[in-house]
Amino acid sequence: MAKQTSIQGAALETDKRIVAKDVGLVYKIRSRRKKENRTLTALEHVDIEVNKGEFYALVGPSGCGKSTFLYILAGLIKKTSGALYINGHEIHGPDLDRGIIMQQYALFPWRTIRKNVELGLEVKGVKKEERERIALGFIDLVGLSEFADRYPYELSGGMKQRIAIARALAYDPDVLLMDEPFAAVDEQTRETLHDELLRIWEKTNKTIIFVTHSIDEAVFLADRVAVMTPSPGSIKEVVDINLGRPRVSGHIKSTQAFSMLRHRVWELLQNSGETADAGAGAAADFDVSEVISESAVL
Amino acid sequence: METKEQSRLFTAYQKSVVIILVLAAWSVFPHFMKNNMFLPPFLDIMQTLWEMVRSGEMGKHLLASLRRAGIGLAIAEAAAIPVGIGLGWFARFENYLDPLLTALRNLSVLTILPLFVLFLGIGEVSKTAIIVWGCFFPQLVNTISGVKNVDPVLIQSARSMGMSNFSLFQKVILPGSMTYTLTGFRLSASIALLVLVGAEMLGADFGLGHMIFHYQQAFLIKKMYCGILVMIIVGVVVNTLIARLESRLTIWQDKGNAH
Repeated sequence: MAKQTSIQGAALETDKRIVAKDVGLVYKIRSRRKKENRTLTALEHVDIEVNKGEFYALVGPSGCGKSTFLYILAGLIKKTSGALYINGHEIHGPDLDRGIIMQQYALFPWRTIRKNVELGLEVKGVKKEERERIALGFIDLVGLSEFADRYPYELSGGMKQRIAIARALAYDPDVLLMDEPFAAVDEQTRETLHDELLRIWEKTNKTIIFVTHSIDEAVFLADRVAVMTPSPGSIKEVVDINLGRPRVSGHIKSTQAFSMLRHRVWELLQNSGETADAGAGAAADFDVSEVISESAVL
Repeated sequence: METKEQSRLFTAYQKSVVIILVLAAWSVFPHFMKNNMFLPPFLDIMQTLWEMVRSGEMGKHLLASLRRAGIGLAIAEAAAIPVGIGLGWFARFENYLDPLLTALRNLSVLTILPLFVLFLGIGEVSKTAIIVWGCFFPQLVNTISGVKNVDPVLIQSARSMGMSNFSLFQKVILPGSMTYTLTGFRLSASIALLVLVGAEMLGADFGLGHMIFHYQQAFLIKKMYCGILVMIIVGVVVNTLIARLESRLTIWQDKGNAH
């Protein structure tokens, strides 16, 4: 039955890069004292369609499951219902057609910068000289050539994240999944990284799905911004950001168009916030980390 | 401001001055004792040591000891590292085994030496076995911690690239647990030397522990001191070598002096 839907989906949606249909995630919570099984719905009826080459942002209140959804797209967490497609093929697990960029950089401390960027290529089975050439190319793209033989501890947070981006780009995935990638860097560095990311995105033509809790960031970067409702998370509305490109942070952010879009997204978040139950949100957050660690030990 | 050369000289001075003073006192002080039989002057001991080295006596004992400790340590490492990785990875097993491990590793090694003698006799086997026993637990415990402390974010990141279990193990778990494993190795190596002496005192034909014990009983005090000095040197050399190895293998770590 599930197989059939996947074939139908494949036939229908080949022009889209990423399609999520009615995706849901329900955690079973086993309580030890009472012998009843409770459930917690983290995601419900999540539907998105992301075009090829699109910059798609996901915003939502904390605990709404936006990061969880990104991890499901990455294949690191298993959804409990619905279907997900990349290029018309159903997603079954992690693969090199998607590259995830995490808030904590996730660089391997014992590998040099170049070796970090080469990691995905190693998994791909690319030969040594070729790996080196590709890696150096992407390190150059993010402007850190002189650090190729350094270790991660020698780099600042912003530099580490640029390397994480270079690493994801190196194995040439179709989609970059970015989970609040710039949340841990200071404001000024963040603006530089925004410009940098847009430049790289325009150059490489990747599809980007970008999770953030910053409205400014989402509106400035994205073609479309999907606003999520709090637990259970689902897509409330998708806002088109018609700001034209290329975008330059200093200029665009002072325009009226930017302010209006910003306000629109803010309003949507406010409304969904009213029904937000902080307790449930926190519970969802907790479960996410638990599921992540469980899937890691598989 | 000091030059590099000056500060290096100063470091050497800092590190050696106390030892030199102690040895100088040891060379002079016994001459003023009424009876210095139990504490011969340091230089006399050095002379005896030189004779023992030249005659090959010291080499024989040293080699026997190093061999014993080396074999025991090697067996313990070969067992503890794979078992530790397995237990660290499958955390559920560790929950069951942890109480037993805690009990055993807190048991002083020499406490159960009689037990080893009972089962394995006083020959080479029981001596090696007790060294293996002593080295096994520190390495095991540290390896388990190492595997458990591999950053889950890194495992996620590796998984997101579709990495196979084997590659994950080889490229993430092994290097990720390296610092802990090396700490375990250093601990085990010093325990190997510790247990070695105890085991050799129990009865052996060769070995530093045996030699020290034997000459004490035979009242050849200078030779006894020679054994002790060589034991100290062995301990320092082993520790230094392992520390070198450690900093070499963990060159990627922020040593905290870069800023």
